[in-house]
Amino acid sequence: MRALLRKLRFAFLPLATMLATAMAAAPDLQLKMPSFEALAEKASDSVSITLDSTLLGIAAGFLDSTKPEDAAAKDLISGLKGIYVKSYTFDKGYVYPSADVDMLKKQLSQPLWQRLVGVRSHKEQANVDIYMAVGEGRANGLVIIASEPREFTIVNIVGSIDLQKLHSLEGKFGIPRLQLEEKR
Amino acid sequence: MTNNLDDELHRALRAVDPGEEFTLRVTERIAQQPMHSRYSVPPAYRWLSVAVLTGIVLAALIAHDQRLRHEQQGLEARRQLIEALRVTGEKLDLAYRVVNDDAHPASGENSGA
Repeated sequence: MRALLRKLRFAFLPLATMLATAMAAAPDLQLKMPSFEALAEKASDSVSITLDSTLLGIAAGFLDSTKPEDAAAKDLISGLKGIYVKSYTFDKGYVYPSADVDMLKKQLSQPLWQRLVGVRSHKEQANVDIYMAVGEGRANGLVIIASEPREFTIVNIVGSIDLQKLHSLEGKFGIPRLQLEEKR
Repeated sequence: MTNNLDDELHRALRAVDPGEEFTLRVTERIAQQPMHSRYSVPPAYRWLSVAVLTGIVLAALIAHDQRLRHEQQGLEARRQLIEALRVTGEKLDLAYRVVNDDAHPASGENSGA
């Protein structure tokens, strides 16, 4: 019996080491968000949302599965590990936080992150960058950096994201209709 | 001499009927005494029962408070989740609009967020 236990211990040790190495090597898709103190001071309205896996679990418990919109939201967040949002609205123009955004973009390097969209609109006076972390054939992280004349927003979603599921939520909870299919 | 002493003792210690009045007085007094004084709980047990009762009430209050807090935390998390999904949807919509405007610069249409 003791010999068996000793063998098991020897077999377990390399396994535990491999697991620990894998965990240490697992990419951290949660961005280190700057505090954006200067923006927060001048903003007329600011939103700061930090939902880690525990809070997402609690929130899921308060979604009513019998209601279609709640059920869709529950389904969407089932694979998520965290949602982090910082959004600032201003009464007038603001100074774009270049240094903070550069610091964020440094974290969004390849090959882990890939820029899906990078658009600059003169008409809307808006800049939007969308980054996605793809691994094992699925999206594991999403970052949106959006700046408009009176609004600056950063969204960081960690976990398995299904954009189709997010699409299915449009028109619900005040989420705008993306109308992607109609316009294609 | 000894016989006389014995006789005197016998006489002095003989059973004497106390009479009807005495019996009545004793039975009346027993009837007047409250029940709990005759079968009272020891003070230590009385304090113990008060402590146990207080503990139960406190535990119920704490459990109620925790349930309320959990509910508040859950509702706040739900509100934040919906706000986060709204903001995400809004920004995806903005990206789509901007891409669409670039693709069809002359159309000038608004996807209507």
